[in-house]
Amino acid sequence: MSATRGRSGGGATTSGCGLKRRNAPQDHEDSEVMNQDQPSTEDWCGRFWNGMELLKDVTEKKHFLPTGLEDIDTLLGGGLRQGQLTEITGPSSSGKTQVCLHSASNIAAKQMGLIMYLDTSNSFSPSRVATIIYGIADLIGQRGFELQPKDARLKSVMKSIICESVFDIFALFEVLHQLEVSLLNDKVNNGGSKVCLLIIDSISSLLAPIIGGKYPQGRSMMISVAVILKKLADDYNLSVLVTNHMVSAGNGAVKPALGESWKTVPHVRLMISRENNICTATVLKHTLLASGRTAKFVAPSQMFGGSSPRRP
Amino acid sequence: MAGETGGEPRAWLAVDETAAAFISRSLSSRPTIILPPPLHRAPLRPGNVVEISGPSNSGKSHLLLMAAVQCILPKEWEGIYFGGLGKSVMYLDLDCRFDVLRLARILRNRIAEGSAHLRNGDFEKDGTKDEFQCSLQNMLFSDCMQRFLYVRCYNSSEFTAALKTLQSQSRSEVLGLGIYFVMIDSIGAFYWIDRASQPVGENKGKSLQSITETVIHEIRKFLQLQPALVLVTKAPIYADGTTTANDFNRGSSKYVMEDSTVLRYSRLEEERSLSFREYMPSIWQSFVTHRINLQVEAEVPSVHENEVLSTYTSEWMQPSLKTKEKFSIVDDGVILAQ
Repeated sequence: MSATRGRSGGGATTSGCGLKRRNAPQDHEDSEVMNQDQPSTEDWCGRFWNGMELLKDVTEKKHFLPTGLEDIDTLLGGGLRQGQLTEITGPSSSGKTQVCLHSASNIAAKQMGLIMYLDTSNSFSPSRVATIIYGIADLIGQRGFELQPKDARLKSVMKSIICESVFDIFALFEVLHQLEVSLLNDKVNNGGSKVCLLIIDSISSLLAPIIGGKYPQGRSMMISVAVILKKLADDYNLSVLVTNHMVSAGNGAVKPALGESWKTVPHVRLMISRENNICTATVLKHTLLASGRTAKFVAPSQMFGGSSPRRP
Repeated sequence: MAGETGGEPRAWLAVDETAAAFISRSLSSRPTIILPPPLHRAPLRPGNVVEISGPSNSGKSHLLLMAAVQCILPKEWEGIYFGGLGKSVMYLDLDCRFDVLRLARILRNRIAEGSAHLRNGDFEKDGTKDEFQCSLQNMLFSDCMQRFLYVRCYNSSEFTAALKTLQSQSRSEVLGLGIYFVMIDSIGAFYWIDRASQPVGENKGKSLQSITETVIHEIRKFLQLQPALVLVTKAPIYADGTTTANDFNRGSSKYVMEDSTVLRYSRLEEERSLSFREYMPSIWQSFVTHRINLQVEAEVPSVHENEVLSTYTSEWMQPSLKTKEKFSIVDDGVILAQ
């Protein structure tokens, strides 16, 4: 498993249970690879897809990644789609991070690929992930998992979650760039399991400080991030999951923190809110389904387990 | 268009076309296009540039897809009437949010609908007939899908490159059937990036104005070669209360002296106009020939449980039709409200 690949530069790595600090890649290797597979300008110019090619690409390469939360999966028509950017928005402590952790754990446990978890507010909790992994029932019976002791199983699942702390937009740009390079390497080497899910929790805490004001640079960076994310998602069949917190819109109402110009970015927007233990998820926008669908469900015990949901 | 006069340069020089001949020629070579509602009100012809504006989630892209399906469906196929145009669509995706599954679903629905009409008029048959029909439908489906051309652009230079490629491609007829609809979703996608890139040193001439000029120039050149209808979506980029509204705050403060009801009214009006605020350069605005505005109206509970259907209104701004139409969007079509 190639969990140990990535950036050479700094950046704190959460040293949780089973999470390894990634090794520095050899620089000369990168440059060679770039020359080989970087699509030339001519290449993309000829890249007029027709409908059938698009359809083939989607059915073969862009699958749904289940979050493991059944109600949300049904609502989204199967889960988080590869090649798409899904946004979860909701008021504070409505369970946005929990959905992220849940998706990461579920996909890691099902061994569908690596998960890149970019944490902007130190909300990633390894013990929470461990609890969720223990709670996933259908883990048993997969690839001889039942033969392994509990700890070894946990360790192997945890290895496929790569967590990285990102505290500002420039660090985000760098991490995304490194991710692209490493994905390009994987593509060339045809090696191992690839990153299939990129989680940024929360993207609004990186973008909110830079937007607004008189000058367009902040918004320009925001749109650049959006373009990079969508490009990564499409080229490497990643599913991107971001969270967006909510701010007051006056009159006691709340609205997503990133405003009108961000609205056009995500493919799917899901709003969740929580009252006691009842969660309500609403599809604000979906590329395939008509929006406005809601689902009410009782928060699964493993979603908000324990007395303090955020950091046990 | 020189080709249309035939191989008689002398005749072409000698007599100018009469108005009657001109109108019949232009009617036959550039017939009126009927688009699915709510775009059906204004008569559209190849060469027109239609701008569909409205906030996010007001159904802009959906209208594009409906129009695309209308274009790629044949008029008639194996005796089944579909009422399409049977021509190619070029979809330039700047937002990168196009979902091919949605297009496929709308298309399959239309095909099934057309076939159902035939079956009703005809006679019921056994399973083998159904199977045969199914394979026929699949063939038609793939035929239509092949007429849908798509390119994704991640920045403005890729966008202009795509437009240039489009011209050379259409000249060399690699794409086979001529492109009849060009769709751009959405034109303001790189607004912030282009605005922020300062014309410094080498990068000179990359400002928003000149990029828009280039884009318009390329589209014009393409339209000269190939009469096509251009459909463009545009999303607003200013929200009601962002810091860009500085002027608005200052402007409204003077109303405080006056009647408070006036204040409230003007505030509302200004807020509304702010969210419509035009951000594309004026050269773009003069390039657009038709403009329709979409708004999300209200949410009405639908027949299904846990589901809210939104109603939308559409209003033609240019040509200015003083009527608003209500419609709602379902998974695979548009329902006009009466």
